Amino acid sequence: MRVTQSLNQAQFLAALTQIESNLSQTQNQISSNLAFTTPSQNPVAAGSVNNYDQALAQSQQYDANANSAQTRLSTEDSALSQVQTELQTLRDLALQANNGSVSSEGHTAIAAQATQIQNSLLSLANTQDGNGEYIFGGFSTTNRPFALTAGGASYAGDQGQRQVQVAAGQTIADGDNGNIVFNQIKTGNGTFDASAAAGNTGTGVLGASAVQNPAAYDGGTYAVNFTAANTYEVRDSANVLVTSGTYTSGQSIAFRGVQVTLSGQPAAGDSFTVAPSTNQSIFTTVQNLVTALQTGTGTSATQAKLNNSLGNAINNIDQALAQTSNVRATIGARLNTITTQQSVSSSQQIQLKASISSLQSLDYASAITALDLQNTTLSASMQAYTLTQGLTLFKYL
Amino acid sequence: MVSDIFGISVSALQAFQAAMAVTSNNIANASTPGYSKESVVLSAAAPQSNGTASVGSGVNLTATTRAFNQATNNQLNTSQSSLGQLNSLQTYTSQIDNIVGTTAGGISTALQDFYSAWSAVANTPTSAATRQALIGKAQSVANSFSRISSQLNGLNTDINTRITADVQQINSIGASISKLNQQIVVSTAQAGGSPPNTLLDQRDKLVSDLSSLIGVSTTTDTNGALNVFVGNGQPLVLQGTTTTLTTVGNPFNSAQLEISSSTAAGNVISGYITSGDLGGLLAARTQAIRPVQNQLGQIATAFSQAVNSQQNAGLDLGGQFGANLFSVGGPSATASSKNTDNTSVAVSIANVGALTANDYVLSYKAGAYSLTRSSDGSTVALSGAGTVASPLTADGLSIVVSATPASGDQFLIQPTAQAAGSFAAVLTDPSKIAAAGAVQTSAANSNVGNATISSGTVLNAANPNLLNTTSIQFITPTTYSVNGAGSFAYTAGANISLNGWQVAISGTPAAGDTFTVASNAGGTGDNRNALASANQQTQGILANGTTSVNGAVSSLITGIGSEAQQVNTAQAAQSAVNTQAQKNVQSVSGVNLDEEAASLLQWQQSYQAAAQALKIGSSLFQSLLTAVQAA
Repeated sequence: MRVTQSLNQAQFLAALTQIESNLSQTQNQISSNLAFTTPSQNPVAAGSVNNYDQALAQSQQYDANANSAQTRLSTEDSALSQVQTELQTLRDLALQANNGSVSSEGHTAIAAQATQIQNSLLSLANTQDGNGEYIFGGFSTTNRPFALTAGGASYAGDQGQRQVQVAAGQTIADGDNGNIVFNQIKTGNGTFDASAAAGNTGTGVLGASAVQNPAAYDGGTYAVNFTAANTYEVRDSANVLVTSGTYTSGQSIAFRGVQVTLSGQPAAGDSFTVAPSTNQSIFTTVQNLVTALQTGTGTSATQAKLNNSLGNAINNIDQALAQTSNVRATIGARLNTITTQQSVSSSQQIQLKASISSLQSLDYASAITALDLQNTTLSASMQAYTLTQGLTLFKYL
Repeated sequence: MVSDIFGISVSALQAFQAAMAVTSNNIANASTPGYSKESVVLSAAAPQSNGTASVGSGVNLTATTRAFNQATNNQLNTSQSSLGQLNSLQTYTSQIDNIVGTTAGGISTALQDFYSAWSAVANTPTSAATRQALIGKAQSVANSFSRISSQLNGLNTDINTRITADVQQINSIGASISKLNQQIVVSTAQAGGSPPNTLLDQRDKLVSDLSSLIGVSTTTDTNGALNVFVGNGQPLVLQGTTTTLTTVGNPFNSAQLEISSSTAAGNVISGYITSGDLGGLLAARTQAIRPVQNQLGQIATAFSQAVNSQQNAGLDLGGQFGANLFSVGGPSATASSKNTDNTSVAVSIANVGALTANDYVLSYKAGAYSLTRSSDGSTVALSGAGTVASPLTADGLSIVVSATPASGDQFLIQPTAQAAGSFAAVLTDPSKIAAAGAVQTSAANSNVGNATISSGTVLNAANPNLLNTTSIQFITPTTYSVNGAGSFAYTAGANISLNGWQVAISGTPAAGDTFTVASNAGGTGDNRNALASANQQTQGILANGTTSVNGAVSSLITGIGSEAQQVNTAQAAQSAVNTQAQKNVQSVSGVNLDEEAASLLQWQQSYQAAAQALKIGSSLFQSLLTAVQAA
């Protein structure tokens, strides 16, 4: 085959260009630490890296979401812990007032303290988070949820509960609405509520009450009527006689699975009601307590009335404390979930980064070997060129 | 006798001088492109007989021939056409590779940021700052779509310019070839059949140049004229005349230049031009740019539809249903400029999930519609009648024809070609972002049972009664009424759907317990809609719900990379083929300087020998004269 000088020259130049282009690409890879800079260099890996990038960004976003929920839940938890402290103080005050030796001035002083607690509770129920959102407003986070009224407090929020995405397919509530925390508190013992009729003239005071036999309890409303000072009868809501008996102070009266304890001496015509628990706002409980304390205790009958009111208040405060504990328990569970999720996502992110790196990052050893080889090729071809270019017959003519 | 020696020597001196001239000319043209090495053909002059023996009478230079092989040359031309096609195609595939490939500032980053911004809104729905950030991210998603689209449009403009330039150059080469044809025919006849080598070289060089612009086939007439054909046999040069190529607007899109031949009466022959630089430009348009633009458009359409419909299902800070966040251009339908009537076609998207990245041609012939894919010409099943009541439907499209078209009418339907370019973020008021769900539920505080109600989801945001307050009251623990009417059996945990919403009540209700479903207008802290929007990131919204937006972007990146890689590989392979073809041609026609140096020496020595013969002849003659004088 005949080889011509001009073709030789052109081919050499083309080869040189190719080697230099390869060399520049390798240099580029080394300086950017990327195995490929355009998809054409590795189309499948480019597509996969794009997917992994998204998964990584999403996982990091889930972390940010979890942090936001964590902050909000911590704010809620600390507010509720203060609510518990306030309620505990209130309970102590009610117990103190329930002692017959406290004077009417003492009652007034306790009422004033209870009013203070009412205000503290209000302020806690209107807690705002770092973004100025009311944490107990449900979905309605920009309106102040609670305001005091004559009978307790009004609630301007709703029953919404915001969820935050903490992992693919996993959401977590970042708060609880104020209605659940402060308003939906069962009265009495949580199942039924025993109360004295307002017009009682005796000194009968309700004591502990409980469901003795849940299977026998039907959730009905019953009246314990005293037909005489030592005789009572229990009638259901249809006024049908359920049971009757003879009363002595401190005796417990049992019927239809429930048991209530009475002490003191009821008068004939006095009546006590056993009704299913209803929801009552903690603010109403405090307000009722204050009102009861402010009502004088001139006679033994009014003293019994105060004692019954205080007993009710203590029951209701206990329910509120239980409710607050329940909510705090769910907050703790959510915070635990977040912590678990954070450690899962951090290992997931390490995994994703490793995957991205294995596809995208440069293998320096092989890149530098390639660079070296390309360099050698370049200088060898240059040398070959200068050697062969000198070869021409004309030199010898 | 002596005069014979003179005659023979002179003929030899002349022949070798000419041979040395040819060799020098070879050396001089060693680097001239298209030059074919020439060589002399010597023949012995007719012998003269003196009666007993015949003695030669010298040497004749009978011809100067060029070293040329038509077959090898044709091979090179074909290979150059293929290389030209791949070179120009590669220009565009690698540009697209660069435009889309750089992930930073690309669509996927913008999309990730957008969905993260939705999450941030979900974390603090009432914060104006996070809402504003979302508006910004939406803007940058729109920008990245339209930026890539405008870069692709820029490539189309560039292609138009280059097509025009190529066509001009092809025509001018064609004109030169036809002029050379005339000269070759004349000079061949004049010189008594001896070939005009330089003119032939020039013509072959022009054909070679032409073949890198456009694939050609040639035939040679007996008079030496060359006929050149392009495309599907359209003549470019016939003997001494040229048929020019022209550029015409695409029948469906006048801004897109196509190739026509002046003999083809305005018919587009672009489809037949598959090689050469021009073939590469046409291929880049249909094979590299359009699929990317359509796929981008498909992603933009599906993405915007998903975001907007979620927006429309939720409530903004003012308690109103959310406004559209994005706007996107719908499908376009263009009537062919060759249609004989004014029938128009309106296309809308019936099912965004079934949408493809194809363009279609709707044809009406013999009373029937047919729909073909532009990319491969395959037929797509079509149903319906084309009327408003019964539109033609195929691949997620709904097509309404304004009137019965004339037979032979054609319409180009581009479902997504315009989408990415026209994609825009239209919401500027942060408070209009619908982060909240449309409805909220509540349980009455007077409820005695322990039943709870779910927060409620919107099934149909278009239901006019969606925001009406509905109360669900239990008549007994196992039956409930809705707004005081009816009696429905209660199953714990089962969905209750009404007015476009769906809730579930679970637990044990007591008679008299009441639950309410109402408008969430005041629920500015609600984030259910924002959560749903953020979750769209991983939801399948393309290809019948199988592909997420990011998945589609990934496969677009892989597709573009594969296409560029494939073209790169083909180009490298064709380069090697072309080098080999060049070598083959050069081994026949090229000038090797060593070889010429040897020839030069050979002719020089022959010349010296002939001169020596002349000298001997002269001395013979001198001896004769001396002998005569002496006598």
